[in-house]
Amino acid sequence: MTKFMKAALASSVLVASVMGANAANAATATADAKANILQQVTVASDGSDLDFGTIVSGASAATVAINAAGAANCSAGIVCSGTTSAAGFDVTGTNGETVDISTDTTVLLTGPTDTMTASLTPSVTSMVLGGGDAFTVGGTLNVGAGQDDGAYVGNFTVTVSYQ
Amino acid sequence: MTIQRFQSLKRCCIGLGAMASALSLSSTPAQAAGDLLVAPTRVVLDGQRGTEVILNNIGSETATYRISLELRRMTSEGRLEDVSEEQENDIERAAKEMIRYAPRRVTLPPNQPQAIRLGVRAPEGLPDGEYRAHLLFRAIPEARSVTEKKAPEKGFTIALTPIYGVTIPVIIRQGNLQATAGIANGRLEQDADGQALTFDLSRTGTRSTYGEIRVTKPGSSEPVMVARGIAVYPEVNQRKVSLPVPPEVAAQLKGPVSVEYYEPANTGGGLIARTDMVLR
Repeated sequence: MTKFMKAALASSVLVASVMGANAANAATATADAKANILQQVTVASDGSDLDFGTIVSGASAATVAINAAGAANCSAGIVCSGTTSAAGFDVTGTNGETVDISTDTTVLLTGPTDTMTASLTPSVTSMVLGGGDAFTVGGTLNVGAGQDDGAYVGNFTVTVSYQ
Repeated sequence: MTIQRFQSLKRCCIGLGAMASALSLSSTPAQAAGDLLVAPTRVVLDGQRGTEVILNNIGSETATYRISLELRRMTSEGRLEDVSEEQENDIERAAKEMIRYAPRRVTLPPNQPQAIRLGVRAPEGLPDGEYRAHLLFRAIPEARSVTEKKAPEKGFTIALTPIYGVTIPVIIRQGNLQATAGIANGRLEQDADGQALTFDLSRTGTRSTYGEIRVTKPGSSEPVMVARGIAVYPEVNQRKVSLPVPPEVAAQLKGPVSVEYYEPANTGGGLIARTDMVLR
């Protein structure tokens, strides 16, 4: 809520990077004390997966769309039930830092005898970190007419980029 | 920024239960592996001195990561776009060729950091300029055999595994490079995600500009909003900056403001550009 306020406050107290503090060495023996504080970024799953729920397909090709909030929208001629969710990710880093978010736009799902594609959309493409930052990835699954039975697997990339 | 998540059960389709071919699809939880931490988030190399980037496995399982150099180009929208090998230009190719890094693949148990060493070997007679590539840290998904997942008797299951990655720019500066920037055309925009403060950031000179945007109201020294890590790379002379703002901040921003672009504190913190404007 008060993301930018927090970011603003943080900016006044935050030292971005402290490079080695070398103790002066004169005639007396001294030991150097060095500290190097780096800005970091972390990306982690928040535990929710991109879940298309349970689908009973029809005779014709159809789509199942999961929006950023995880709600499903089934095209006509297809039955959807069960709980659906969008994939959730947490990002941490220095407050006020700007990052870009990108995902694969399409992902191929491979089954034993057939394939399917899904298109993916991240909920945001850019964010200014303010603590507790998260984004979701929803998508649209393209179910073919008479899609073969089986277990389908696929990978999709999620990338957090610093400028 | 918290994103509201609500699970919703579909109600619309109950009446359609008499559908023909009964393929049931149930999604199984995808295994999440490869949570990662990267520090620092930007590297500038000038001269022969190398540096290190720390990669840490912050997940709960052992994970393997691949480190690679990627090329990205900034668009006038301020996005970083992938550059394929065929599209590479001479500057980009030179950047990729002179950056040395190792290791390129590491397997880390949970909470195990690894330093990735970075160095530059500039070829003789390298023209002055700024060279840049982006270091990508990406978890490699564990190979999963199809037999590992039990196929359902009827219908199909879906397992989508996210692979996370982080990219950070690695910048090499050769010679004495200069750049200036300007801010113009500030406005509050409404888009699908909410309101955004949008403006054009222009750049002239031989290198990129990088720093933080501070927006202040007249008579106040405390900024209303701050966004760090805003770059304008040499391939563009102007880019759009669009910063999402919550409604209460947007209300505060309306009226006269001054938008300032500062270098980061660790490189001097100097003012790069400043423009007074009226937002509505």
